[in-house]
Amino acid sequence: MVKFLMLFGAALMTAAALSGCGESSATSAVATSTAHGTLAENPPFRIASLDAAALLSQLGATSSGAELLQIAGNPICGVDFYHLEFWTLGGAGETTESSGALMVPTGSTAACSGPRPIVVYAHGTNTNKALDIADPTDPTNTEGILIAAIFAAQGYIVVAPNYAGYDISTLGYHPFLNAKQQSGEMIDILTAARTALPNTLSSATSDNGKLFVTGYSEGGHVAMATQRALQESGAPVTAAAPLSGPYALEAFGDAIFFGDVDLGSTEFTPLLTTSYQKAYGNIYSTPGDVYSPTYVSGIETLLPSDIPIATIYANGLLPETALFDSTTPVVDISGNATESAELTALLSVPGSAAYPEPPTAQTPLFALGFGSPYLVNNSYRVTYAVDALSDPDGAVPTPSAGVPLAATEPTQGLRQAFYKNDLRNGGWTPSSPTLLCGGDEDPTVFFSVNTGTMAAFWSSLVQAGLITVLDVSAVPSGNFAAVQTGFQASQAAELAYYQTAAGGGLSLTQAEQMIVENYHTSVAPFCVAAARAFFNQL
Amino acid sequence: MTRITVRGRIISVLILASAACAAPSFADDTPNSARIGLYSVFYHVSTEGLSGPYVPAGTSIDANDLETVYLAYVRSITPHLDLELTAGYPPLQKTVGRGPATLGSVPYNGQVIASARWLAPTLLAEYVFFSEDARFRPYLGVGVNYTNFYDRDSTAQGNAGSGGPTKLSLTSSVGVAGTVGLSYRLPGNWKAYASYSASQVKTRLDADTAGVERTAHINFGPQALVVAVGYSF
Repeated sequence: MVKFLMLFGAALMTAAALSGCGESSATSAVATSTAHGTLAENPPFRIASLDAAALLSQLGATSSGAELLQIAGNPICGVDFYHLEFWTLGGAGETTESSGALMVPTGSTAACSGPRPIVVYAHGTNTNKALDIADPTDPTNTEGILIAAIFAAQGYIVVAPNYAGYDISTLGYHPFLNAKQQSGEMIDILTAARTALPNTLSSATSDNGKLFVTGYSEGGHVAMATQRALQESGAPVTAAAPLSGPYALEAFGDAIFFGDVDLGSTEFTPLLTTSYQKAYGNIYSTPGDVYSPTYVSGIETLLPSDIPIATIYANGLLPETALFDSTTPVVDISGNATESAELTALLSVPGSAAYPEPPTAQTPLFALGFGSPYLVNNSYRVTYAVDALSDPDGAVPTPSAGVPLAATEPTQGLRQAFYKNDLRNGGWTPSSPTLLCGGDEDPTVFFSVNTGTMAAFWSSLVQAGLITVLDVSAVPSGNFAAVQTGFQASQAAELAYYQTAAGGGLSLTQAEQMIVENYHTSVAPFCVAAARAFFNQL
Repeated sequence: MTRITVRGRIISVLILASAACAAPSFADDTPNSARIGLYSVFYHVSTEGLSGPYVPAGTSIDANDLETVYLAYVRSITPHLDLELTAGYPPLQKTVGRGPATLGSVPYNGQVIASARWLAPTLLAEYVFFSEDARFRPYLGVGVNYTNFYDRDSTAQGNAGSGGPTKLSLTSSVGVAGTVGLSYRLPGNWKAYASYSASQVKTRLDADTAGVERTAHINFGPQALVVAVGYSF
């Protein structure tokens, strides 16, 4: 009996001792290093795991998803969606955490597991600060779902940052169109993803060494800057597909300041000025140098935001389209009456009597960029325009003969920032196959000023066939005729839909206006699908 | 009332029980009894479900019933009053998913998603009916249960559902316990026992998956049937 009691006591004591044990130990490790490219949580958190049938079901459940399936094709792989948290650098070199997606194809076939290629994707401008491109359960995450359907569900490992300043990032701004920061962040998330992949629940899928870089709109610029940075680091990409991006940023900026105001400019401008002010410090002395008194309050931290952009407009925090004052400036350059008159005319509202160019189809669109109240002060516009007139870009306002070079380094702060981030600069040309896709009627990121300028700039510098230019609005021909045909059929269907009761019963003119407003977004799935077709060849 | 205060009180009760062990016998010649038997535990889990990021509505958990070894020390204070300190040998408790058939495409409902061991000492004051020499003696008891969970592990299936390796923690519980039982006198100093007991075990489960935290408040509602033999000395 004594022995029994001892056993009983021992059992209780052992259990009591064990009860002092801590929490279960198996979990991810938090990195102690904050060096850029370090994975912060290893292994990363898997938001969702969907097999091919579940993906098909999820996409097929909505009309937009069903349309995407027509472009992307039915999923052949499942996709595991991971939320990557990693360390990177901000626009001024600040250490900051950022996040993004690692989408891993899954399935038993060789097309979905084992060694697979990596696509690094840079998303377009999004004003939603809480954006998480890794989250397939968020129906507003259309771009994340797009790249999952087009790339991951077809066997590509997808890596895509949310960008510093979004999601969990504590950076108080977004380094918008900062080529150095954004390409650095792309390389950092790629490094983090390669660290993470073997430790995930999807470790049956691995990196086969092929690396593709792509992105849309803002992300098109990021993709091209990343292609350049990877080449410079000695890690060239297998192929790249910058899509609808503002690559020739100085030319694009000059076009806008000379009156070709793009749709979305009132969102882009605060993002740009804050980004460049943080990086270079010479955009303004105070935000009031740039912004009208109506909108200057809080402008530096306005975007990205947790408040929907429609509410920001409704609350009068930004004008929807009026980038510039409809009462245009009378320029007076001391001692130069000719230039003063020329600039006064160039800065007048497109379509007005004073404007030097004859009206075009896009003139009414550009004129929407002028109003009152307006966002940008005339005085700031004039300092930019004076710089642009005295040191012109090779493409804008008057294309020079031959290769459209950027200006020699400008002196006005914002134009200097555009110059620094203009991807004609940096002494490089692509060394791997590159697809430049976009749409010639794009009212948001002008095709000819950006894609056209880059293609013309590179035409004499790279070997024939290395650069492929695809305009989805052009007459279908060549390898991507099916993409062009598909896009144009989609546009026609959309135009017809807007005129039906279900689509709002709009008049033809109103429906055409909707097509213009949505054009930039509508091109995205077709260009991303074209990028996949381009990568599939390699 | 803080948990520390509750723990302090439990410890005080346990010390009192120990003191009772050491006290001179005044109930009969064999006031101590040790019991061993089969502890069959079944649960009536109630919970408002798991809450946290990426948890679909209706996602919940359940606990598998189990059997373990019943161990108890009993001190007779008077011919009709016993103090029982009981515990099951710490069993491996399996937790299963309840709710959606799948989370994404990961099987969930009915899957064993976690395991833990628990130590659940219970101190009961029992009123024993009939005289000491009766062959059958029914008894009723009431007391307090303390449950501590340890060796908490998320299974591979649990990790798959949660989104990665998951750290679990469960708060300790202090609750009311009650029992009803019957003893049967065997030859010598031996007796056989059968009892039914129930106790209140409430805990908060915290799950941490790569920094993503989910929580569930769980009332296990355990009930137990015991068949045991005891030796008095």
